[in-house]
Amino acid sequence: MKVSAVGLSKRFPGVQALSDISVDFLPGEVHAICGENGAGKSTLGKVLAGLYAPEQGHVALDDKPVRFSSPREAQAAGISIVHQELLFAENLTVADNLLLGEIPNQFGWVSDRQMLDTARRWLEKVGSDIDPSMEVAKLSVSKQQLVQIAGGIGRGAKVLIFDEPTSSLTATEATALLGLIRELSAAGTTCLYVSHRLDEIFAIADRVTVLRDGAWVGTKPIAEVTPGSLVQMMVGRELLASSEGDGAFGEPVLEVRGLSSVGRFRDISLTVRAGEIVGLAGLVGAGRTEVCEAIFGVDRRATGSVSVAGKSLVLGSPQRSIAAGVALVPEDRKRHGLVLGMTIRHNGSMAVLPRLSTLGWLNRAAESRTVREFTDRLRVKAPSIESVVGGLSGGNQQKVVLAKWLATDAAVLLIDEPTRGVDVGAKVEIHGLIREAAASGKAVLLVSSDMPELRALCDRMIVLREGVQVAELGRAASETEILSAMAGV
Amino acid sequence: MMQQVGLLAVILLLSLVLVRFSGTHVDRETGQTVSNFFNPGSLVQILTETSFFAIMAVGMTLVIVSGGIDLSIGSVYALAGVGMALTMRAAGWDSPWLALALCIGFGLLAGVLNGTMVATLGVHPFIVTLGTMWVFRGVAFVVSKAESVLVPGPVTDFAKNPLFLGKGLTPVPAIVMGLFILGGALYLNRTTMGRRVLAVGGNADAARYAGLPIPYILAGVYVIAGLGAGIAAFLGAAYFGSASSADANGYELYVIASAVVGGVSLNGGRGTVTGAFLGALLIVLIRTGIRLLRLDQNYEWIIIGAAIIIAVVLDRLGARLLEKRMVNG
Repeated sequence: MKVSAVGLSKRFPGVQALSDISVDFLPGEVHAICGENGAGKSTLGKVLAGLYAPEQGHVALDDKPVRFSSPREAQAAGISIVHQELLFAENLTVADNLLLGEIPNQFGWVSDRQMLDTARRWLEKVGSDIDPSMEVAKLSVSKQQLVQIAGGIGRGAKVLIFDEPTSSLTATEATALLGLIRELSAAGTTCLYVSHRLDEIFAIADRVTVLRDGAWVGTKPIAEVTPGSLVQMMVGRELLASSEGDGAFGEPVLEVRGLSSVGRFRDISLTVRAGEIVGLAGLVGAGRTEVCEAIFGVDRRATGSVSVAGKSLVLGSPQRSIAAGVALVPEDRKRHGLVLGMTIRHNGSMAVLPRLSTLGWLNRAAESRTVREFTDRLRVKAPSIESVVGGLSGGNQQKVVLAKWLATDAAVLLIDEPTRGVDVGAKVEIHGLIREAAASGKAVLLVSSDMPELRALCDRMIVLREGVQVAELGRAASETEILSAMAGV
Repeated sequence: MMQQVGLLAVILLLSLVLVRFSGTHVDRETGQTVSNFFNPGSLVQILTETSFFAIMAVGMTLVIVSGGIDLSIGSVYALAGVGMALTMRAAGWDSPWLALALCIGFGLLAGVLNGTMVATLGVHPFIVTLGTMWVFRGVAFVVSKAESVLVPGPVTDFAKNPLFLGKGLTPVPAIVMGLFILGGALYLNRTTMGRRVLAVGGNADAARYAGLPIPYILAGVYVIAGLGAGIAAFLGAAYFGSASSADANGYELYVIASAVVGGVSLNGGRGTVTGAFLGALLIVLIRTGIRLLRLDQNYEWIIIGAAIIIAVVLDRLGARLLEKRMVNG
């Protein structure tokens, strides 16, 4: 089925999320929608799926205008969405979730068997053998995603919208998902693929539409674009190339000796000198985040010795670690990095409140000045520092977290997955900021699952595998070397 | 901010209704006809009644903003009142300042107990304060042998001092309320501790990762709630001339209702002290209104309960309308 956006416009408080977007999505094609965070790509998917109503324009199915007032109506018309954040009643079973909208029943009594049968049939259509009587909470993210896709296909979806589907999948799972999407499109399903991951777009898309600041930039067959030209379309400017460090570092600032935490990692020793960026590489679960959390003091069971600028640090309290000059930019910014309901000013000053107050009385002028200084330097895009951070894009939220910690003027920056879920433009900027911080004499310990990121930023890399330090590699190490050290082959 | 505009509008509307429909009486001294509602005596009376709730609602607001709840606040009131009255009588004191100090002392003690348990035991504040709600009232019951204890005369004179106003008017509770609300609002908005309370209530994990001293922050709000209950107990016991273990029974729910009507989010992280004050004022106005409009007193609870739900629903509607206006504007 052909689905078209016809002059779609959508406003949110303070932003024009979509302005006058017209694109045709053809039957059987995989059509990537890409753009930076905040470009409106997810919004477009949600308008097509009936989650948002457009202010102007309409959606057309095979050139017939339609108006959905709910996702359910869109589903009935054959459009299903696979969400970025999976929406499930996690305590219920797979079958319950799949059929929640239309539970098979006799006079209000749930027919369990019919439900399980239908669910199993739907799951088979996407080639999955998930047991429909399992609780959703017990499934991995990738399996939960399959359940969503099965729900769409089972209801007879002819258009599937994938909204950043691989953002929380492992590489293998992502590959499997891309394979499934290709099969679905070969069977005639129109697949819309919302993503900013270039490798995936090139692996899977037939055509690509680029949005920028809510406006349409272009729609092109994939053969007519290169990664470079696509990025330029997304960002609207040339990006800075990465630069090499000069390899001259100062005194050791962070010294870790024999750091262990039962069940997480053991006997980690490392040194980071002033001006140096050291990478912590490893597969998910290798203990990278846990090492950072131990140094930062949120892991109360950690043992071993850590010293900052020659002074030994007693582990187990973030307050002590912060006082000693350690900052942690956490992996999960929404859970650990930000109070989403508070403003940029409130979040930005949170780690330096004592410095901004006299006898407990907050000096609001100093607070605004400090926060503005750092958000300006980091080029946070927001109407003002009084904007609520929950409304910012991922890249800008990440910059606010960085601003909060740069404001502490810590000597040691522990940075965990700084560019996850962040768009290309902001990613380049964040890389620049990390380099700048190191150049100003800070010791940086960087955790990342993004291989090019590690190789672009780090002066050397320490590889962890199952909680043990297995290798140390220089910046010249190839991707293959790093990967084999991580996987132990 | 907008929230309070809506609440203010409702309060003004209700006041207009009361001015129009509450009837009049002839003042015995001046011989003039005055409104039953809009006269100095009634207005000061309403503020006095409000002050007992509103002072406790300040502490409750901080507790709820931090992500907790304090069910024991009415019991702390009773305990502080009884404790003060008994001590005064046993020691033969009659200074109102000593009475105030005693009430504050008992209130703080109860608050420290609540706060320490919430901060260290890892048990939900609902459970902790549900327990202390009975324990505190039980202690008050036992030590007073369930009898009303008289408060020394000078203490009552202090609370009923007309100050600069005419005879029969008692502005002291309202003035104390004003000061306490001002202090609470400044604390929440202008001090580092207030900011930390908002942060912990908004996202306790992020607050911990920002190095905030969570146990102290949590304990602190219960201590302030205890302080408020102590001050309210002093005013109440002094004003009514006696204290009993049955005082303020069920007040915790009025106080929580005041905060919620005033826009304090039960999920934590959001709320204002002035909002909670307006919430308390609205509830007292409704109670007064029932009396002045000669409605059947037996309907008081039904009306208050319905009004709370309506107020909160209207408030959400207003917020949504405002959001829409921002989107379209």
